[in-house]
Amino acid sequence: MSIPFGIIPSTLTGLGATGSSPGTGASLPESSFADAFATAVNQVESAQASAKTAAMDLLAGGKGDVHTVAVEAQRAELSLELFQQVRNKFVSAYQEIMKMPM
Amino acid sequence: MSRMMLEKTGLELGNYLTYLTRREEVIASNIANADTPGYKTRDLASPGDFSSALADWTSTVEADGLPSHNDGNNVAIDREAKLLAENSLKFNLATQMLRGEFKDIRSAIEEGRA
Amino acid sequence: MSLFNAIAISASGMEAQRARAEIITENLANADTTRTPEGGPYRRKDAVFTTAPMPASFSDALSSASGVAVSDITIDDRDPERRYIPGHPDADAQGYVAFPRVDAAEEMVDLMSASRGYQANVAAISAVKDMIARSIDLFR
Repeated sequence: MSIPFGIIPSTLTGLGATGSSPGTGASLPESSFADAFATAVNQVESAQASAKTAAMDLLAGGKGDVHTVAVEAQRAELSLELFQQVRNKFVSAYQEIMKMPM
Repeated sequence: MSRMMLEKTGLELGNYLTYLTRREEVIASNIANADTPGYKTRDLASPGDFSSALADWTSTVEADGLPSHNDGNNVAIDREAKLLAENSLKFNLATQMLRGEFKDIRSAIEEGRA
Repeated sequence: MSLFNAIAISASGMEAQRARAEIITENLANADTTRTPEGGPYRRKDAVFTTAPMPASFSDALSSASGVAVSDITIDDRDPERRYIPGHPDADAQGYVAFPRVDAAEEMVDLMSASRGYQANVAAISAVKDMIARSIDLFR
């Protein structure tokens, strides 16, 4: 029996894509894996950029405070950890589905 | 798991720390000028809202109710000493709480692993 | 950064009080100096404190917290104290000797004030150092 692609989130068929692909069938609530993935990637990138800017401003220009740079750095790290969890969930969900008997 | 959650992380406590930092500067200025003729003790305006991302405490006001000496200076060193001690304690508490906040979020993220 | 600026402010306070203490010590040491190269008895000095802005590298443009500096050292121009000591080498024709207007008790009170002021600035720096250390701990 072939997998009825209609009921599987379209995002799984586009494994590796970082953007959300147009739906081919069933509509799911907004929190599809690809959307969550894309959001997390963006969040990590912007958090890390922001942390880096804050750190450089402080070290090179003496602008800003140590504690605000620390908060930015922690946010960046937490974003990364969150991203890793999302990615892991994504991968294990995919693996679960691939294990389903055909 | 949302963008909003992490953006707000440490916002309020971070703002509070910024407030304490600015106040420390003003206290240092009062202490340094404790013997400057004509100098009036300064303080920050009211704390305001710590939850706003735009919070800022750069403006200072004259502190009320302090009597002046003959040379016009009204710095009371015991007031400044008290504020210095209080500021340090608050800073201590706030940094501890902030560390707790990060730790809690980290735990929540890791719990999702199960 | 604000906390480094606070240290700069307290350091300026320490320096001003130290300079003040130095001047008071000079007054005390010369309390009985009746003869100076410029002529006449020693004239006591006073340190004048004024607020001083901090270097831009530490302070934000918007910060209005300022430090302190000794802007001037004024010479006390009151007439010297005249004491009747006829045999004194610096006695004038009438037998009076001109002495500096240094009141040791007054100078000592002033010196204690400078010392307390200095200590207060030291305490402020110590508190700020602690805050910086705790801020750095936030990275852990």
